[in-house]
Amino acid sequence: MGDYAIEATDLVRQFKNGPRAVDGIDLAVTPGEIYGFLGPNGAGKSTTVHMLTTLLPPTSGTARVAGYDVVTEGQHVRAAIGAALQEAALDPLLTGREHLRLQASLQALPRGVRNQRADELIARVGLTHAADRKVRGYSGGMKRRLDLAMALVHRPSVLFLDEPTTGLDIQSRTALWDEVARLAREDAVTVFLTTQYLEEADVLADRVGIIDHGHIVAEGTTDELKAQVGRPTVEAIPDDPDEAPRLAEILSRFGDPCGSTKGVGVRLRTGETDLADVVRALDAAGIEVANLQLHQPTLDDVFLAKTGRSLEGSDEEETEPARAELAAEPA
Amino acid sequence: MRTLAVARGVAWRTLHNVFTNPSLFIPSLLFPLFFFTAFAGGLSRVQDVPGFDYAEGYTAFQFVFVLLQSAAFGGVFTGFGIARDFESGFARRLLLAAPNRSGIVLGYAVAALIRWFATAVILTAIALAVGMHVGGSGVDLVGLYSLAVIVNAAALLWAAGVAMRLRTMQAGPIMQMPVFLVLFFAPVYVPLSLLQGWIHAVAVVNPLTRVLEAARGFLAGSPTEVAAAFGAALALAAAFSIWAFRGLRKAEAAG
Repeated sequence: MGDYAIEATDLVRQFKNGPRAVDGIDLAVTPGEIYGFLGPNGAGKSTTVHMLTTLLPPTSGTARVAGYDVVTEGQHVRAAIGAALQEAALDPLLTGREHLRLQASLQALPRGVRNQRADELIARVGLTHAADRKVRGYSGGMKRRLDLAMALVHRPSVLFLDEPTTGLDIQSRTALWDEVARLAREDAVTVFLTTQYLEEADVLADRVGIIDHGHIVAEGTTDELKAQVGRPTVEAIPDDPDEAPRLAEILSRFGDPCGSTKGVGVRLRTGETDLADVVRALDAAGIEVANLQLHQPTLDDVFLAKTGRSLEGSDEEETEPARAELAAEPA
Repeated sequence: MRTLAVARGVAWRTLHNVFTNPSLFIPSLLFPLFFFTAFAGGLSRVQDVPGFDYAEGYTAFQFVFVLLQSAAFGGVFTGFGIARDFESGFARRLLLAAPNRSGIVLGYAVAALIRWFATAVILTAIALAVGMHVGGSGVDLVGLYSLAVIVNAAALLWAAGVAMRLRTMQAGPIMQMPVFLVLFFAPVYVPLSLLQGWIHAVAVVNPLTRVLEAARGFLAGSPTEVAAAFGAALALAAAFSIWAFRGLRKAEAAG
């Protein structure tokens, strides 16, 4: 493997009579990194994953995964990667254990290793009790966990997870996050994770790329991205509404006024370390506050700053391009 | 080695599903048995028609057709499974998991062959049980079943090519209808010499006619047109293997 586990240059996918789903993106993901690919539905996340996993040829541009070109060395790419795509396509007539053995067979694992590896992964994803049941009786969360186990059968060096927690309950989501984090930390697996959940990217990803309309509009660590947007804000609501002007005067010593729905808000000049001074100043002035909150910038603020829209709630707007992407024939 | 590993995995999974689900296996078994019973039983007086010169009798005459028909439809039924895999998204899993994708087509072909073999064993046993005459030697019978194997492979490759291009179960009639027409535009009920008019003209140029005549010759122990029959069957299999692998490329390009 070269310097990067995943590397893409000016990657484009144009659908015939459809949108330019991916429009010239560049990627450089280092080995062992968890890279979060964040964007609304239809932004181009899944199309990017399909190109990087050799399921879809790029219209133009180049991409290398695990050191191999996705177009000319697809066979080597597939041997090196694991992938759990958005739809966990499983055979309802096979059991969980049979799925894992099939996957091991497809990856040419030695016969003697297959059963042992299947048992190990079944236990790791918590499906021991259901391993010999046909998957048509599995819940959505169990299917996702089996899908993840199948992606890990041949110990891939790069793992693609396409919206792995969509539709999962909180417990299943947390368990999957723990496993993904463990894979990167203990097994040095590079993880390329697409998500539309801000929290998921925030919790898991070492770095985040934000994609919108096929373009990467921002990239960096979550802290870097939030810092690009601005400093934290403090919002205070006085006990006595008549004290609001005095409250505003005191807070203005610590930063520039910003919008607040119920009270007074300022964007802190030097950061969250000012908070203690704010509290002391309010106490010294004898102003009682009903509520005092520190707001850190979120990835949604980053998305808003970069695209002019909020990521949360932008799905409906993006649904039509997503449908067009699915329906369009390849160019 | 990777190609074989992929083929083994795909074949195992296809056969596992077929043999553990009666709804998938029984129709492909009953279909040829029904035809054999209906044709060999219901039309047995055809052997009294002047000009019917097949020495082993009408049961053997029909057995050969039904054997080849079961081989062809064994391939087509497996093609239905390929289309189902694409429609359900499972084929995408295979495309993603298999380092060597040619092994996927090979795996389906092996599954189609083994699936047909189970049908052929039962069909042959029933034919022998009802008194079918066999004039051919062991070598002749190897020739007969070898032709059927090639027909099975050709039909599977044809159906696979359609399934991978259209990737929907709605492609079923497109897979089935041409095979059905080719089979029934051959001398099914009477020898070629007794056919007349346009059906005779079509049967003469139908490549399956060569295969059917040679297969009946093998069963009777008097092989005829063997080279032409194997040539026609192998040519179909070769042409449809190109068709199938190009279909695989189309499926890959479609993602």
